Amino acid sequence: MSKESLEAKESLEATVDPALVRKWIEEIGSDSSAAVPLLQAIQREYRYLPRPAMDLVVNQTDITASQLFGVATFYAQFRLKPVGRHLIKVCHGTACHVSGADRVDTALHQILGITDPGEDTASNGSYTVEKVACIGCCSLAPVMLVGDEAVPHLKGADAQRFLQKHARKNQELLPGERKEAGEAIQ
Amino acid sequence: MSSSGKGMTITVGEGSCGIAAGAREIRELLVQRFPEAEFRTVSCLGMCHQEPMVEIANSDGKSYLWGQVNKKNLPKIVRFHRGETEIPEKNFIRSSEQPATDKAQYLQRQHRIALRNVGHLDPTSLDQARARGGYSAITRILQGGMSPEDVIEQAKISNLRGRGGAGFPTATKWGFARGAPGYPKYLICNGDEGDPGAFMDRSLLEGDPHTVLEGMLIAAYAIGASKGYAYIRAEYPLAVDYFGRALVAARQAGLLGDNILGSGFSFDIKIKEGAGAFVCGEETALMASIEGQRGMPRIRPPFPAIEGLFGKPTIINNVETLANLAWIINNGGAAYAAIGTEKSKGTKVFALAGAVARGGLVEVPMGMTVRQVIYDIGGGSASGRPLKGVQLGGPSGGCIPEALFDTLIEYEAINATGAIMGSGGMVVLDSKSCMVDIARYFLEFTQLESCGKCTFCRLGTLRMKELLNKICAGEGTMADIEALERLAPQVKEASLCGLGQTAPNPVLTTLKYFRDEYIAHVEEKRCPGGVCKALITHAIDQSVCTGCSICERYCPVNCITGEKQKGHTWVIDQSVCINCGMCAEVCNPEAVKVQ
Ligand SMILES: Cc1cc2nc3c(=O)[nH]c(=O)nc-3n(C[C@H](O)[C@H](O)[C@H](O)COP(=O)(O)O)c2cc1C
Ligand code: FES
Repeated sequence: MSKESLEAKESLEATVDPALVRKWIEEIGSDSSAAVPLLQAIQREYRYLPRPAMDLVVNQTDITASQLFGVATFYAQFRLKPVGRHLIKVCHGTACHVSGADRVDTALHQILGITDPGEDTASNGSYTVEKVACIGCCSLAPVMLVGDEAVPHLKGADAQRFLQKHARKNQELLPGERKEAGEAIQ
Repeated sequence: MSSSGKGMTITVGEGSCGIAAGAREIRELLVQRFPEAEFRTVSCLGMCHQEPMVEIANSDGKSYLWGQVNKKNLPKIVRFHRGETEIPEKNFIRSSEQPATDKAQYLQRQHRIALRNVGHLDPTSLDQARARGGYSAITRILQGGMSPEDVIEQAKISNLRGRGGAGFPTATKWGFARGAPGYPKYLICNGDEGDPGAFMDRSLLEGDPHTVLEGMLIAAYAIGASKGYAYIRAEYPLAVDYFGRALVAARQAGLLGDNILGSGFSFDIKIKEGAGAFVCGEETALMASIEGQRGMPRIRPPFPAIEGLFGKPTIINNVETLANLAWIINNGGAAYAAIGTEKSKGTKVFALAGAVARGGLVEVPMGMTVRQVIYDIGGGSASGRPLKGVQLGGPSGGCIPEALFDTLIEYEAINATGAIMGSGGMVVLDSKSCMVDIARYFLEFTQLESCGKCTFCRLGTLRMKELLNKICAGEGTMADIEALERLAPQVKEASLCGLGQTAPNPVLTTLKYFRDEYIAHVEEKRCPGGVCKALITHAIDQSVCTGCSICERYCPVNCITGEKQKGHTWVIDQSVCINCGMCAEVCNPEAVKVQ
């Protein structure tokens, strides 16, 4: 990975505000049944679980580190790695699987230039691609969520076109984008 | 007719699928065209294949339901309502004048009890819910002097069985919790909907939250619960939002909280968002999750009805089970039991999806056949290719072949095929699906979702997945098929909870009904559905190719080359091709052939 892209990703790390974490603990509670909702509150704010926020929870509640990390790694919703500026969720439920979710995945990874199978975020920190199991719009399969927006009836090519438009609107660059003939390649 | 929309009422379906298909944009455009019309938002009617849907009532009262409305065809619909053109048939579903059209068959063949209000009201409006009879059942119970035993009796007469998958008689379960000592008692609404390919509970929670809430009140009263939880999947943000608003509205109206309707009965509900674990749909795992633990099932007995959440008597009911309750109280258990077959009463909601022409939400009386649902309601194959089977019940269920489509929809008949009724996922498969791949897909799912407590579930499913991967990769042998058949019953027997006990079902049913496909993979190294990447090739049919070069543009590995605008020059380099299929998807004349 180039130095530039390493920096791009480091900048995705969130700065945790201890006052916020304290506020959630006050609102949600500090007994062991608060573990899941507290993690959800942290993730809602930072879009992943920053280590400093989890340490704060362990220090300030009855929840032990082993319970908190156990819970954080058990449930698919929680991420321990920072997420790109935009999150794409590709549905891999049954209906989407049989109608081509795989191709949507391939297409997105290609245009984002993600080649390492252990990686889910583009090198410039723009987009992260996650798999989810059914978002409940199965009649519109295959479907992906970009941010909150559900995009229905996708072919691989549609997914790329949607992302190109989305990137232009949000001033993001797509590392794997192939330039059209005639356009200058930099 | 007014061109500004004065006197008109325009209703836009804005459930998750409607929004995904672009309903909000359509509404904005309609507001521009008809600024003086009255606009209403309703939840999804369940005709997901027709989204976005709009109903427009003219000032003279004539109303029209339009489907698949988009930016391009909207002007025609607008002009029609201004009296300027003929009816745009393509988008027309039905009207007040012409209610029985071919497209409207989808709704006419259904029998809606649980879904009675879905698509007919604004889910954020308590007034609209009450106008359609919401909370009349709980009022009848609390103010009409029905005892908890009377409520349980009606549920017993109705013969309602749990719709969450297991089909356990609801009244029996309630009776256990009613009689159990302990305080407080809990009632949990199971809205985890883990089957990846099903959306019944989502549609109910976001389309008619008050009906589910009233169901929770009725169940809580029956068992004597004072605290409730609604456990809702995190992937359903709209459901969480609308159900939350329903709770606030009901509390303000004195329908939830302390001393409901002045009766002395108190009950309140908290929402718990799931965190993405299939196993948490299982009742003991769900309770562990609410308690803040990893969602691991535990041994039963003690059953939750005796010793459940925080060690107290607890009933867990599925969303759809709850949605039937108010109807049963209002119409009597006997009216519900009059619908259906001898052993399975009432109706069942299915989420119809996959290779079917008209997908969406379907509620049918028990005793209909699978064929009637797929053909009469669903309109048969979407692509025109022959249908091969249907997957019922998701990862715990099985695939039944076309030859068994006359199976009745009732618990016993479906179980006899090796599939299960399940919670209602119904994914239709056509000749381009590979049944081995389907089995592999579900095993991969259950293996990932296994909580890891039982060895056979943790490692047995892994072994089964490896064997299926091998077969899909063209490296399988007949001995592998036998190994699958040996492992399956062991995993079933040595697992603690339903996840492991049912995980082999997709494999067993496909082996039973589609064995020839397994054999084709093993002996001929051929995937009849054209799905398994290691066993197919993509090639360009020179007699069809026009040389447009679009395939080249989308090929992720740059393995297609040729001369622009010239047919007969394009080839796929097989040594580089990854068989992703993107070229075949974009090729307009269908020149890319899969072999
Ligand atoms: C692995 C597994 C997943 C389950 N997922 C769900 C689910 O998503 N929703 C549901 O209502 N029931 C689910 N169940 C069934 C529940 O354990 C339970 O039987 C049901 O919620 C009881 O409600 P009912 O009697 O109203 O059907 C699941 C069971 C298992 C074993
Ligand atoms: S399977 Fe993709 S939305 Fe349900």
